[in-house]
Amino acid sequence: MALIDVVNLSKAFGPKVVLSNVNLQVEEGESLVVLGGSGTGKTVLLRNIMGLLTPDAGHVAVEGKIIAQLTREELFKVRQSIGMCFQMAALFDSMTVFENVAFGLRRHLEITENEVQTRVEECLSMVGMKGTEALKPAELSGGMKRRVGFARAIALKPKILLFDEPTTGLDPVMTDVIGRIILDLKHELGITSITITHDLKSAFAIADRIALLFRGECIACQPPEEFKANPNPVIQQFLRGDADGPFLQDPPPPKRKVKEAHA
Amino acid sequence: MVLTFFDTIGSGILHALDTAGDFAVLSGRAFAAIFKRPFDGANLMRQFQAVGVNSIPVVVLTGLAVSMVFAVQLAFGFRQFQAEGLASQVEGLAVVRELAPVITGLMLSGRVGSAMAAELGTMQVTEQIDALECLATDPIHYLFVPRLLASAIVLPLLTAIAIYVGYWGGYLILVGVEGQSAFVFSGEFYKLLAFRDVRIALTKAFVFGMIIALVGCWKGYRTQGGAEGVGNAPTSSVVTSSLWILIADFFLTKLLLV
Repeated sequence: MALIDVVNLSKAFGPKVVLSNVNLQVEEGESLVVLGGSGTGKTVLLRNIMGLLTPDAGHVAVEGKIIAQLTREELFKVRQSIGMCFQMAALFDSMTVFENVAFGLRRHLEITENEVQTRVEECLSMVGMKGTEALKPAELSGGMKRRVGFARAIALKPKILLFDEPTTGLDPVMTDVIGRIILDLKHELGITSITITHDLKSAFAIADRIALLFRGECIACQPPEEFKANPNPVIQQFLRGDADGPFLQDPPPPKRKVKEAHA
Repeated sequence: MVLTFFDTIGSGILHALDTAGDFAVLSGRAFAAIFKRPFDGANLMRQFQAVGVNSIPVVVLTGLAVSMVFAVQLAFGFRQFQAEGLASQVEGLAVVRELAPVITGLMLSGRVGSAMAAELGTMQVTEQIDALECLATDPIHYLFVPRLLASAIVLPLLTAIAIYVGYWGGYLILVGVEGQSAFVFSGEFYKLLAFRDVRIALTKAFVFGMIIALVGCWKGYRTQGGAEGVGNAPTSSVVTSSLWILIADFFLTKLLLV
C-alpha cells in the first residue's frame, strides 16, 4: 500500500478548476518531484494532502487514512507525521529561530528543555544553520528562512516531508544549497517526500519519480530518465523551457529578431 | 428590475447570515477549546501583559478625562436649578454604571482588538496560521483562547481602575474647581450606588472583553487579500466590536437592572 495515495483528486475555486482527476501514489521512502507551470495546482495538491483544503471529489489517503474523513484530533495525529516546508518558510515572526524549531517539540512531546535544546541544535546543524538560534526571522535571508523552515519541519522526525517550491526566488548558488540539503535529508533520514519545484537541476537530483501537472491533470509520473525521454510535447517544451509550444494557453509574444549591429 | 432588487436583498441577507454563522462557529470553537490541552501559560501571560498591563495608561487617562468632563457638565447643569449637591451623586452613578465599563471597552477595542486583528491577519496572509495547522496545533486553541481569557479577565480589572480614577476625576472638578466639600463629595459619590451596580459594571466589562477578543481574532483569522486585507482587518474589528459593545451595553443594562 502506498504511503500517500491521491485518488481522482479534483478541486475548483469558483469556476476555476485547479485539479482535475489527479492520481498519484508515493511509496514509503520514495521521493516524488511534482513539476508544473505556475497556477497548475501544485500547491493545492500539497494543501489537500495536509488537509488544509478539502477535495471537491476524490480523496487523499496517508497511511491508509482518508484525510478528509478524519476528525480534527485524528488529523492532528496524522500531521505530526508530516513535515511541511512552505514556499516562503512561514516562520513565526514573533519567535526566535530556536523557538520556531522547538515549537512542535514543546507542544507534542513530553521531553525536558535540555532534550529540546539538543534536538533543535541537531535539526539546525542538519540544514547548516547552527549558531542562528537567537535570531528572529526578520534577520534572516530568504535561503536561511527556508532552511530554518526545513529544520522546523524535521524536528518531530516525520515520516513524510512536503516541500512547496523550496528554491523559488533564490539565487542559483542558494538553489543548489537547498537542493543538496533536501538530498541530504532524503539520504540521512530516509524520509518519503513530495517536492514541488521549478528547478529542473535539483528536481532530477532529488527525484525517484517526476510528475508533471498540466492544466490540473497529471500527465506523467515516471522515473527521471523515462521522464526526460517522454515524447509528450508538453513535457519536452517544459524541459526545454521554451515559450513556443502547447504548454501556454495564450500564445506568447513573438520572438524579436536581434538586429545586427552596424559596422 | 424587481428581480434584481430582490436578488440583491436576498444575497445581502445570505451574506449577513453566513458572516454571523461563521462568527458563531469560531466563537463556539474558542469556548470549547478553553479546557483543551496543552495549557500554554507563557502565551497567556504575554496576553495579560499586552491586554492588561500595557493598557493601564490609556484607561487611566481616558477614565480621568471623561469623568472630569462629565463632572463639568453636571455641575453646570445642576447649577441651573440650584441643585449642585446632586452632581456628585449622578457622577458616581454614571461613572460606575456606564462610563467606566463602556469607555474602557471602547478604548480597548481600539488598542487591543485592532492589534489582535492585525497580528492574526498578518499571520494568515504569511501562512503562519497554516504552519500552525501543519504543526498539528489548533490555531483556535493557540491564538484565540489566550486572547479571549486575557481580555475577559482583564477588562473587569481595568474597569475597576477606571472607576477608581473616575472618582478622582469627579473629585478634581467638583471639589477642586466647583468648591464642594471633599467630605460631602466622598459620601455623595456612592449615595445612589449599591453593590449591584459594581457587579453590573464588572459583568458588562467581562462581556465587552469577550466581544473585543472574539471579534479581533475572528477578523484577523478571516483576513484575505494580502496587505489590503491586513489593513482592513483592524479597522473592521474596531468598528464591529465598538458597535457590539454599545448594543450589548443596552441589552445588559436592561437585563441586569431588572
